[in-house]
Amino acid sequence: MTEDKSQHNGEGADAENIRVGVYICHCGGNISDTVEIERVVEAAAKMPSVVVARRNMFMCSDPGQSMIEEDIRTERLNRVVVGACSPSLHELTFRGVLTRAGINPYLFENANLREQVSWVSKGDPTGATDKAIRLVGAAVAKARLLRPLEPIRLEATPRVVVIGGGLTGLRCALDLARLDLDVTLLEEQPFLGGHLAELGQVYPSDKPAREILGELIREVSAHPRICILTSAEVIEASGCVGTFLLKVRAAGEMETQCFSAERIAADLASRAHGPNGDHHNDGAGTTELEIQAGMAVLATGFDHYTPSQGEYGYEEHPGIITLPALIRELESGGLGSGPPALNGRPINSIGFIHCVGSRELDGVHDQNGKTELNHYCSRVCCTSALWAAKQLQARYPDLQIYDFHKDIRTYGHGHEDIYEDTAKSGVIFCRFADTAPPKVTVTESDPPLMISLKDELTFNEEIDVPVDLVVLVTGMVPHAIDNLVDMLKLPRSADRFLQEVHPKLRPVEMAVNGVLIAGCCQAPLDSVESAAAASAAAAKAAALLGKGYIEREPFVARVDQALCNGTSACVEECKYNQAVSLVETAGGARKAQVNAAICCGCGMCAAVCPTGAIQVDGWRLDQFDAMIDALLVNY
Amino acid sequence: MEKQNIKTDVLIIGGGIAGLQAALDLGDQGFSVLIVEKEASIGGRMINLSKVFPTLDCSSCICTPKMAAAAHHDKISIMTLAQPTNVEHQGAGFAVTVREQPRYLNAEDCTGCRLCEYACPVDLVHEVEGNLGARKAIYVPFNNAIPQVALLDMDNCIMCGACEKACPTHCIDYLQEPREHTIEAGAIIVATGLDLAPMDVKAEYGGGKLVNVLHGLQVERLLAPHGPYGRVLRPSDGKVPDTVAYIQCAGSRDHSIGIPYCSRVCCMYAIKQAMLLSGALPLVEVFIYYMDIRAFGKGFEEFYQNAKAMGIEFIKAKVAQITEDEHRNPVLRYEDQVTGRVEERAHDLVVLSQGVVPAWDPRAVLPVEVGGDGFIAAANENVAPCRTSITGVFAAGVATGPKDIPDSIVQAGAAAAEAAAYLRGNDKVESITTADRPAQRPVEVG
Repeated sequence: MTEDKSQHNGEGADAENIRVGVYICHCGGNISDTVEIERVVEAAAKMPSVVVARRNMFMCSDPGQSMIEEDIRTERLNRVVVGACSPSLHELTFRGVLTRAGINPYLFENANLREQVSWVSKGDPTGATDKAIRLVGAAVAKARLLRPLEPIRLEATPRVVVIGGGLTGLRCALDLARLDLDVTLLEEQPFLGGHLAELGQVYPSDKPAREILGELIREVSAHPRICILTSAEVIEASGCVGTFLLKVRAAGEMETQCFSAERIAADLASRAHGPNGDHHNDGAGTTELEIQAGMAVLATGFDHYTPSQGEYGYEEHPGIITLPALIRELESGGLGSGPPALNGRPINSIGFIHCVGSRELDGVHDQNGKTELNHYCSRVCCTSALWAAKQLQARYPDLQIYDFHKDIRTYGHGHEDIYEDTAKSGVIFCRFADTAPPKVTVTESDPPLMISLKDELTFNEEIDVPVDLVVLVTGMVPHAIDNLVDMLKLPRSADRFLQEVHPKLRPVEMAVNGVLIAGCCQAPLDSVESAAAASAAAAKAAALLGKGYIEREPFVARVDQALCNGTSACVEECKYNQAVSLVETAGGARKAQVNAAICCGCGMCAAVCPTGAIQVDGWRLDQFDAMIDALLVNY
Repeated sequence: MEKQNIKTDVLIIGGGIAGLQAALDLGDQGFSVLIVEKEASIGGRMINLSKVFPTLDCSSCICTPKMAAAAHHDKISIMTLAQPTNVEHQGAGFAVTVREQPRYLNAEDCTGCRLCEYACPVDLVHEVEGNLGARKAIYVPFNNAIPQVALLDMDNCIMCGACEKACPTHCIDYLQEPREHTIEAGAIIVATGLDLAPMDVKAEYGGGKLVNVLHGLQVERLLAPHGPYGRVLRPSDGKVPDTVAYIQCAGSRDHSIGIPYCSRVCCMYAIKQAMLLSGALPLVEVFIYYMDIRAFGKGFEEFYQNAKAMGIEFIKAKVAQITEDEHRNPVLRYEDQVTGRVEERAHDLVVLSQGVVPAWDPRAVLPVEVGGDGFIAAANENVAPCRTSITGVFAAGVATGPKDIPDSIVQAGAAAAEAAAYLRGNDKVESITTADRPAQRPVEVG
C-alpha cells in the first residue's frame, strides 16, 4: 500500500481544507466545577483549522450529540474533537455521531478533561483550565492529521467455547444453542453440574438442586448444537475474536454422546457425596483436540474458601467443620435420623461463625501469617448458612443453634423470610464487630468447643458459648484458572476474580475482545444471578457472532512498502504470533506484512523500525509529533 | 380517537435502564423492538441519579449513552407517555393496546428549543427534581431527556397562549387527543422498574410531613451537579446541613408497612450519598442508623470499608420515632446498641432510605403471576429468572424484585436472550438422537 508522503510530515492537513469542530462537555459539573469551560472554548476557537467551538452540559446526551451532528452538516466539519470524559466511555458514542452525519467515524479525537484533568486537579482550577486547553490543543493538532479508516472485518466462526460446566456454563451453553450458535462446553471434572450439585434443596424455589440440574443437563446434552467435553483442559489458546483456536486435552472417553438419564442421575448423586465422586473416568489415555470458535465464555466458577489450620480452630478438632462440609453431611444423612450425631459424637448444639475467609480486614485477619486477604463479601453465605440452619431445625427440633455474624445479609428474593423463620424458631443470634472476630477454643469439658466473643446485641457483653459443633461459614474464592488467565491475558480485579470491562456498561465482557464472563468467576453470585449472567453472556455472543463477521477497530500496524527495508526488526519485536511476517514481493525483495486479524496495535514494531515504515493507524508518529508540539503552545 | 397498528418482534414495557439494555441486546441481534415508556423521557430512575456505587461514575455518563444508542438504533423505536391497556394472545404472539397521552404539541416539529418554557408564566413543582425544584406548565422534562421534546401539563395550563406565540415551529396543539395503538408483538419484556416506598405510610417517621426529612431520590437530585439548587441545602431554610442522618430500612424489612423484604439497594445508596455529601460539604457529619449493612455486590464491601475510613459514622440502631424541634430540625429517638440507652438526637437533615416497591402491577392488563411481595414471579427462578408464567412474556430488572443497576442490566441481557430464543422458535427441541448431531465435532490433532 502506498502512502501519501505529504501527510507524514503534517503538511497534508492544509491541503485538504481541514475544518475542525471542538466540543467541550461540562459533564454536569464533573468537569465544569474545576475547569473554566468558557476559557477552554475561547482558546479552542483560536486553534488552527478550528471553525466552531461550543460547549454543552452533557455532550454525550442527545442534545449534545445533535449539536455536533448539525454542525458537521451546516459548518461542513470534517474533523471533530470532543473534550469530555475518558475515551473508554464515549469514543464510540461520538464516532456514531460522525457516522450519522455522513463523515468517516475515525475523524474523531477525544481530549480527556475529566479523568485526566478535573478529577485529579480539584484544588487547582487555574492549572486545570490551562491543562485542559493544552490537551484540547493537542487533540486538535492530532485531529488535523487524522485520516479516514475503515473497520477491519473478520470472519466469525459461529461457535462459542464455554469453559465450565456448572450451572452458569450449562445455562449459557443452552442459551447459545437456542440462539443458533454451535457450542463446545468444556468441563474439567468428569461430570457436569459444578458446585450446585453439592446442595440439597435450594432457595428460593425450594427444589432439590439435583432436580434443577438434572433437567438442565438433559436439555444441554440432548441439544444438537452442543458438544460436551468432560475431563477437559485447555492447554493452548491462540487467535482472536472471530477465530480463537483452543487446544484442549480431554482425558478418558470423549463425551460427545448424549448423556443418558441414568448417567446424569448417577453423576449428580456422586457429587453430593464429596468432591471426588469420580467413578467412570479411568484416566487412561488423553486426546488432544483443536477447537475453533468465534468467542469464548468463561464460566469457571469458584472454589470454597479453605480455612488455614488453626483459623477458628479449623483442623484442630473434628467438631470444627466448614459450611460446605456440613451441607454434605446433611445431604448424605451423616447426622443420622435420630438425635443428631457426627462420627459417633452426639450434637446438641451448633454455632455458625460467619465471614470466614470473607470481609477480612488488614490488621485484623492478617495476624496469623495470612498474606492474601479476602476483603470482599461472598454474598451467598449468610443466606446459605441460615438455609442450612432452617433445615437442621426442621430435622432436629431439639438442636440449639447459635449464629455469630457481623451483619446478616439476606438480601435476595425470599431470603429475609428464611432469616425470620430461623429467628422465630429459636436460632440465637450474636453479633461481633469487624475488628473482633470470635475465638474458638477446644476444652476438656462437654460440650468440647467454646466460642468466645463480645456480643454487640447485648451491649458488648463478653460471652462464652459452649457448642458441640462449630460450622465455619466459608465464602468463595475464584476457581484457580491461572493457565487460562495467562493464555488469554485476562485482567483480574483486586479481589482476584475476573474483571469485567465495566460493571454497568459492559458487565459480561472482558477487555480481551471476544472473551465473555459469567457467574462466580466474576464475583460471588447465587444460582439465580449466575443463571441471569449466563443468559446475558449468550445474548452478547449472539449479537456479536450473529452477523457472520466481526468488525474490529482499524488501529493496527500498516507497512509502507516503499520505506520497508526488510530488516525484520518488527517481526522479532512482535509479541503476537504471526501478526507481522516477512513476505517476498514481486520484485524479489522481502518486506514486512501485517495480519490485521492478529495485530493488537501495540506499536512495538513502530518503535523499532529503523525507517518508520511500519506505523499504527490512528496513532502515527507524525500525529504524536503534532500533539507534542501543540502541548507547548500557549493559547 | 386516532388508531394505529404497529408490528414489532418485541414489545418492551418500560424504558429505564433494564428496558434499554434489553432493547439494545435484541436490536443488536437484528430483532425489531418497540419500547413503550409511561414518562415523557426514557432513562427511568437511573437518569436522575447523581453518581452510582461502587465506582462513583456519574450516572448520566452511563445512562445517556444507552439512551442515545437506543434512540439512534435502526431496530429500536420508542414511544413515550404511553402505557399498555390491554394484552391479548394473537397467534404465537400478542396484540397489545397502548394508549399514548398527548403532549399537546406536534412532537415531530418540536426542536426542544425551550422558548415555550421561557414564555410560560406558570410555576409548578418539578417531580423529576424530587419536588425540590420548579418547572413550567410546558417544559422539556430535563436536560438530557430523550426525546428532547416539550410537553404541556394540561391540568395546570391557564391557556394564556404565551407558548403558542413563542413557539418558532408552531407545533403547539391544545386540542390534541390521546392516541391508541395496536402493537402486534412476537414477545413481551416487562421492565417496569420501581417506585420508592411511600413516605407517608410510617406515622412514626413523620408520615411524610416533616420538611427536612427527605427520601433517597431527593438527595440524588441535591447531589447531582445539575440538580435543583446546584448545591446541597436543606429545604426548610436553605441552610447548609452540618449533620445528616440516614435511616436504613425505613421502607423495607418492615411488616408494619407491608414491605417485609430487603430492598437490596438502600444500604449502598446511603453509603454512596454519605460519601458524596462528605465530598460536597467537607465539614458535614454523616450518621447512618442501620440494622445490618448489606454490602454484598462486587466491590461493595470495600466501598463500605472506605466509607468507614472516611469517617462516616455507622450506628447500629433501629430508629423508633422522628419528631421536629422548634428549628425544624428532625429529632431521632433510638436505642443505642452500644450503651443500651434510649437516646434522642437532632440532625439538620434526615434521609429515609426508603425501600423499593414495584412501579406497575401488571395483572389488570397482563395476567402474569405475581409474588406475595408484588413483584413478578419467575416460573423457574434458579435457572431461568426472566421467564414469567406466560410463555413469550419475560421480565427484567426491578419488575422481578429489588435489584441494583448492575444486576438489572445483567438480567436485561438475560431477558433479551430468552426473548430472542423464543422468537427463533428453538424451544421445541424434542427427542434428538446422537445421529442428528451436526458435523461440528472438534477435530482431533496429532
